[in-house]
Amino acid sequence: MKKFLQNKKLLSAFIIVIVIIAVLGGSVSLRNKRNSPLFIQSFGNDIVAVGSRIVDVPLGLISGGLNNVNSLLNTQQENDYLKSKVTDLGQTKARNQALAAENKQLKAALKLKDTLTGYSLINASVISRSPDTWSDLLVINKGSSSGIAKNQAVMCGGGVIGRVIEVSAASSKIELITTTDKSANRFAVQATATNGKTVHGLITVNTNGGLAFTQVVDSNKLKKGTKVYTSGMGGNSPKGLLIGTVEATTRDSFGLSNMINIKPAGEINDPSVVSVIVRKVAK
Amino acid sequence: MRIFREWVLAIALFVALTLDGSISLYLHQFMTWNTYGASCWIMPIGIMLIGLFDDVNSKEIWLALGAGIVADISTLGIIGIYTVFLPLACWACQRVARFLPEVFWSRLLVVLLGLTLLDLYSWVVLSLVGIITVSVHMMLMSLLLNLGWSIIFFVLTYWIWGNLATNYPFMVDLNAYRQ
Repeated sequence: MKKFLQNKKLLSAFIIVIVIIAVLGGSVSLRNKRNSPLFIQSFGNDIVAVGSRIVDVPLGLISGGLNNVNSLLNTQQENDYLKSKVTDLGQTKARNQALAAENKQLKAALKLKDTLTGYSLINASVISRSPDTWSDLLVINKGSSSGIAKNQAVMCGGGVIGRVIEVSAASSKIELITTTDKSANRFAVQATATNGKTVHGLITVNTNGGLAFTQVVDSNKLKKGTKVYTSGMGGNSPKGLLIGTVEATTRDSFGLSNMINIKPAGEINDPSVVSVIVRKVAK
Repeated sequence: MRIFREWVLAIALFVALTLDGSISLYLHQFMTWNTYGASCWIMPIGIMLIGLFDDVNSKEIWLALGAGIVADISTLGIIGIYTVFLPLACWACQRVARFLPEVFWSRLLVVLLGLTLLDLYSWVVLSLVGIITVSVHMMLMSLLLNLGWSIIFFVLTYWIWGNLATNYPFMVDLNAYRQ
């Protein structure tokens, strides 16, 4: 022990390792517990976000140009598909309006204010992605000044793609739904089984990196193609946000519960514009 | 103007950091294959090349430390990945540069080895703190993919980092020696 204390190099290395572990542990703990990051972290995030927006302009122009060419090549096929959908759209829109009006009247009759399905949207642009291959993080150009808060759900391309994990004044970080983070908040979801009953569960990530609907307590079967929505029970996201559709049903590694593979509905690989969901009903 | 010249390298590293995020966003579809993905590490490549091109300026190790803290805060939100690796990599590259042939290929090998170590180090630390759960097989496959993309980024930025490190060393005014 005396020799160890006299060896200055060894002692310095030991102290540095201890400091690194302490800083790492402290920052991980802060990341998980705090609703908003420390001022210095928030400031750093915003400075890098400003830089990203500047760099994003020329890159966006190049990427946009290439996408436009691709869109032009697919125009005819897309046009034919859209024409087939237009006929249904008018009827669906009229029916939705009637249902929304009826819903409003029924809520007023029952003296209900906000319900689990109520939410508003904040649209934002994605300005960068985590450069390392391990973490699934996006950075968007809106922050707490626009009303964004930690744990709000984020949608893109018609489905949920993740949730807000860190909010600065002018930027926010989104953790994708495919994250393998053990401490990540999971979405409480539901789907309608073949017998008409509602099945509840959580969205997790399977070993292949795909989405799975687990912890289903009852043994009701879900057909392939069944839509899975948020149930609003987690306290963070509203009810009725589309997560994806059922792809296949298996048993989990312990053989105890159903493991249902989900095909994500949201645009996880190429999100450019996202909608942050602000739940109306209080937590 | 003198102060700007002394800080050009720091500004370049900041631009590289923002480019890393933007390129990861736009090229994500091309940088992933099945469930395996590659990292976009222009800034770490820059730090290592700065160490290899300029092996006498110890201030660049402090620059690497600063760049590491900013990178950790802005990407992962935890301090201990880039903050530890970048100054260590810069120091090691400066030591290696003293006996390494000053040619493209030898520097490429050193940088690829460094990026592989960064990939492994980040995988170990992130797994230990529970932020990721990635299997060894997936990690090894991603390492291979990462090496391929790192070669591309290295080739594209080699001369830029070389010129910057040679002509604009951090916190050193070369004009003071020239006059």
